[in-house]
Amino acid sequence: MSLRRAWHRLLSSWYTRAHWWATLYARWGLVPVGGAVVPWAAPRVPFHHGRIALVTAAGVHPRSAPPFDMENPRGDASFREIRGDVAASQLMITHDYYDHAAADLDVNTVFPLERLRELALLGVRVAPRHFGFMGHVLGAERERLTRETAPEVARRLVADGVTHAVFTPG
Amino acid sequence: MGLIAREVEGHGIPTVALSVLAGATAKTPAPRNVVVRFRLGQVLGEPGAVVQQRRVLWDALGAFALIAQPGGVIELSYRWKRSTYVDPLEPGSGVS
Repeated sequence: MSLRRAWHRLLSSWYTRAHWWATLYARWGLVPVGGAVVPWAAPRVPFHHGRIALVTAAGVHPRSAPPFDMENPRGDASFREIRGDVAASQLMITHDYYDHAAADLDVNTVFPLERLRELALLGVRVAPRHFGFMGHVLGAERERLTRETAPEVARRLVADGVTHAVFTPG
Repeated sequence: MGLIAREVEGHGIPTVALSVLAGATAKTPAPRNVVVRFRLGQVLGEPGAVVQQRRVLWDALGAFALIAQPGGVIELSYRWKRSTYVDPLEPGSGVS
């Protein structure tokens, strides 16, 4: 592991525990992106009759998929497909910008696919594909996210007949 | 995350985004936002806390009916271990 990655892991371990610092950073350090206009699509069906997909920025991906690029200081705007019937044990996390020790024990703390499957008892349908991103993208990678990878995921969700999407952070 | 949610919403799919940092949500809100006062890396709850995780997910899904304005935010009242979590799968929970 590079010195840079080790430093980021040490830092993220600290601010994951020091929630007050992360709160202050979110309030004063983050720059708004994406403009003031927020799109809106009214649900066509109640969620408990819908087909629901999860999209996470927590760096979750199948063990069989390539890990996210942690060497690029601008992050990695790519995504990984996660099958709706995948075993939780076949998922892992690559993300140096938060401490994912808890999620390594139980991925449902950031990516509740098993919990979503259980809600099928109440009528919820689980989408065939879900998507993992690594939620730390800056500069050119943010451009790639907005121009390429986010629209591609949106198209795949539409193709799968998804009616509702739930987003989770790291 | 708000950027991706906006893109998906722009394709006609309603979205809701969970968050543990209200400040970050305010900077780039998703179309619907649910803030939980939990730890970073544990937005659904503790490892192995199945009922807690299921309840938070259920309440996040409930935001599809509760939030009526783009960028709207609701905050769940849960306070980690101090709260009681009613399992939506439990008979008599008001859900099933």
